[in-house]
Amino acid sequence: MSAVAYYLMLFAAGFAGSFHCVGMCGGFACALGHDPHGQAATALRHFLYNLGRLTTYCFLGGFAGALGQVICTPQGTAVSMLSGGLDAAQRALAIIAGTLMIAMALQFFGLLPRLHRLAIGFGSSTLASSLRSLLTAHGLAAPLAFGVFNGFLPCPLVYAFVAQAASTAGALPGFLTMASFGLGTFPAMLMMGTVGQILAPAWRQRGVWLAGSCILLLGLVTLGRGILPFPAHMAHGWPGGYPA
Amino acid sequence: MNGRGGILCSHCLLPVGVRATQRTVNGESHAFCCYGCCIAFQVKNGKSEEWEAAWLLIRLGVGGFLSMNIMLFSLLLYAGAFTGVDARLLPWIHLLLWVFATPAVIILGGPFCAETWRDARDGQVTSSALIVLGVGAAYLYSAFAVIEHSPHVYFDTATMVLMLFTVGRYLEAAGRARAARNLEPLLAAESEWATVVESGAESRRPVREVSVGALVRVRPGERIPLDGAVLEGESHADEAVITGESRLVPKEVGSHVIAGSINMDGPLLIRSTCTGADTRWAQICRLVRDALTRRTPTQRLADRVVGIFVPLVLSLGGLTALYWMQWLPFDRALLNALSVLVIACPCAVGLAAPLATSLGIGRLARRGCLVREPGALEELARTGLLAFDKTGTLTSGRARVVRIETDDVVADEVLARAAGLERHSEHSFGHVITAAATARGLAPLVAGNVRILPGRGIRGNADGQAVMAGNRALMSELGWSVAPTLRERARSLEADGYSVIYVGWGEHVCGALALDDAALPEARSTIEALRGRGLQVILLSGDLAHATQRVAVAAGIENAQSGLSPEAKRAALRRLRQRYGVVAMVGDGLNDGPVLAEADIGIAVGSATDLARETAAMVLPRGGLWMLPWVVDVARAVRMTILTNLLWAFGYNLIALTLAVLGLLQPVFAAAVMAGSSILVVLNSLRLERMPDPVRTPSSGGAEAQSTADPFPVLPVAAIEQG
Repeated sequence: MSAVAYYLMLFAAGFAGSFHCVGMCGGFACALGHDPHGQAATALRHFLYNLGRLTTYCFLGGFAGALGQVICTPQGTAVSMLSGGLDAAQRALAIIAGTLMIAMALQFFGLLPRLHRLAIGFGSSTLASSLRSLLTAHGLAAPLAFGVFNGFLPCPLVYAFVAQAASTAGALPGFLTMASFGLGTFPAMLMMGTVGQILAPAWRQRGVWLAGSCILLLGLVTLGRGILPFPAHMAHGWPGGYPA
Repeated sequence: MNGRGGILCSHCLLPVGVRATQRTVNGESHAFCCYGCCIAFQVKNGKSEEWEAAWLLIRLGVGGFLSMNIMLFSLLLYAGAFTGVDARLLPWIHLLLWVFATPAVIILGGPFCAETWRDARDGQVTSSALIVLGVGAAYLYSAFAVIEHSPHVYFDTATMVLMLFTVGRYLEAAGRARAARNLEPLLAAESEWATVVESGAESRRPVREVSVGALVRVRPGERIPLDGAVLEGESHADEAVITGESRLVPKEVGSHVIAGSINMDGPLLIRSTCTGADTRWAQICRLVRDALTRRTPTQRLADRVVGIFVPLVLSLGGLTALYWMQWLPFDRALLNALSVLVIACPCAVGLAAPLATSLGIGRLARRGCLVREPGALEELARTGLLAFDKTGTLTSGRARVVRIETDDVVADEVLARAAGLERHSEHSFGHVITAAATARGLAPLVAGNVRILPGRGIRGNADGQAVMAGNRALMSELGWSVAPTLRERARSLEADGYSVIYVGWGEHVCGALALDDAALPEARSTIEALRGRGLQVILLSGDLAHATQRVAVAAGIENAQSGLSPEAKRAALRRLRQRYGVVAMVGDGLNDGPVLAEADIGIAVGSATDLARETAAMVLPRGGLWMLPWVVDVARAVRMTILTNLLWAFGYNLIALTLAVLGLLQPVFAAAVMAGSSILVVLNSLRLERMPDPVRTPSSGGAEAQSTADPFPVLPVAAIEQG
């Protein structure tokens, strides 16, 4: 799999997954509503909201990737991806991330009980309930701020991709992983906000299955990187550590 | 400035201290102990119409957006994305970072700056000064670096430190609010509202404006705002906060309801019997508020340490910079100094004691156990000896018929005749005797022509015979005959400290009832449980030796001293203190106020209704003796938590500080560890919430059942005297 294909796959997963997001985040997007200053202002408002969300995703990705890097190379020296062989730590990380993603995918198919309790973190539930005050606030800063917080709200989809980002064991690939995923969620969410039309449940269900399949595939690939004996970089085909 | 000392933080209910943050939320003025609580409270309670609440979130969100972007670009820089061909882009990237960082530093650092400025005006240097100085230095250096085209900028460090501290404070405050949950019902008395029914219409009014006799409606799930009597409705009430009673108490028309209890399942209409300020709930509220604002000795020590810590760290930071400048470039030395400043914020130290103490107070208060002196919890945990008063503490304070001596008649007949007379008596012994007859299932023998002889007894006629029940004076006054054996046994009972009531009919004294204030059924198991916790137990009584000894035996106390005047009790406590260190005295709080005050910790059990006059450091609810072992457990857990908190806070500070001085710690990492450390203290303290509720030991329940089945545990006198 080439790097471009890999990121395209992530984009697709994000796109399909955003039909899942519509349930929760789509509601937020609709609530952001219309700006009285016209169509352009409304679009800007939603763009800023999504930009805030994307920033959070990218940050989480970069951070998770850096964390993976720290775990894999305790000395903080050269990234091990260059050296050809995946060391034991990176394999372990891949196994953990892969398992997590597969669990998330199974949850998407309704085959696993919801892990939501796990997701509701310390203090975030209070945050979620009070974020509504931002939705109705005027000005352009409010949607941006709202998007930033929105990105941190518990969501299995995001967790799955953060796990994937961590397994890349590099700040940059981690960032790119989450960026592709975040951009994938852009179209549906933008459409949601500006059109304000909720998709038919049947379509949403199809989207959720598609997203589940993408995540499952990615999870299996990631798991394979950890388990399979050959040192080939199945998901990271770029030469020199980063995609061109 | 001192006026603020008694104010509690609106969010976490810890005392705000002298430097409170004042803010108006939803039209009401609130005081907060810290920036974190200010954020968390507004996030939680701010209405969407309120610009300020939204504004705060917007600032945090935009700050987050900017700092995350800075971090992302910096990560790319560190990963070497702008080397080689792209190197010419470097100055522009730096400039972009500067553009992002300037508003971020202003937005996120503003509150810290304001705090520093406020403290500085009071002549104080606190932890926020460390942050401001460190971040300011990093920012200014980086700004110069951009102008000078230096290869390194540290905008990411500056903004991430601010972001981490802000998020850390928010999470810490959110955790502290959980700690306050137990206390909330106790502090609500003053701000409670009542639904008053007046001429058919209902209106909501603050409790302090509701007069005596007003009709108040209480819906299911609501807290009953006033003491009163039920006029309409049936329900159950949860009175645990006031009485410690964990069972639901059924309420019907005519029942008395207590302010502060929760109406569980049916609407009630009550007529208030007292004003809002006079209820026990309001008293408890004032008492808890007082206790929370008082500082414990540990807390004062921690405050003093923090006071000298900050200037110390500032100079240490300066020295670190000076030292490293000899070996490293200026920017690296500056970073090392920044790590020192950031890592040494003594937030966790300041939080260690008050949080655990307020959790302990809340935990106890949920079961009706009140702590007036917060330091008492730590003292109780250290105590080696508990001294008990007898009457009203280990005993119920009410006499019971414990023995019946007879002269050729059945004991039940003596009791039935006595009860027939005593039904007409108002004397407390009268109630005791009728109760004993009822407990045995005896019908009192109906007596007529009953006359009460004040100070001596009672007489009347039954079955055509004169019947009398009274003390020895009455017996000799009447000149009725007594069998010598009965006279002897009765005399010996009197000598043993029993109250003896002679019962006679047909001009002959046929029996004698021995009344005694026996040990409470739960006394034995409670003492055993305390001993199981490694505590010494002693009984200090003002009563006669025999009476004291009897209770001591029943309760399983080996060491008992009797015939002590209050002064002698205090002297005894002083002696015991020399041997055991910290001593606690458990009394009923009525007669032994001075003795309780003499002990290191005075614990009143089931004491006077007027809490305001209470002198004991801790007050257990009526009949709450059995909770004492649990109270000791909670006190020990609180002390343990404080110690582990302090150990962690100091230990981590020392180790991390050493690493920072040696230049082994990145500032961002230091900030993360720092924020994590306060949260760890909060989490460690929150473990106190999970302490189990007190359980009545099976043995105490068993003893209770036994005592109701057999109200006359006839102890052979010889066994009593042998002790």
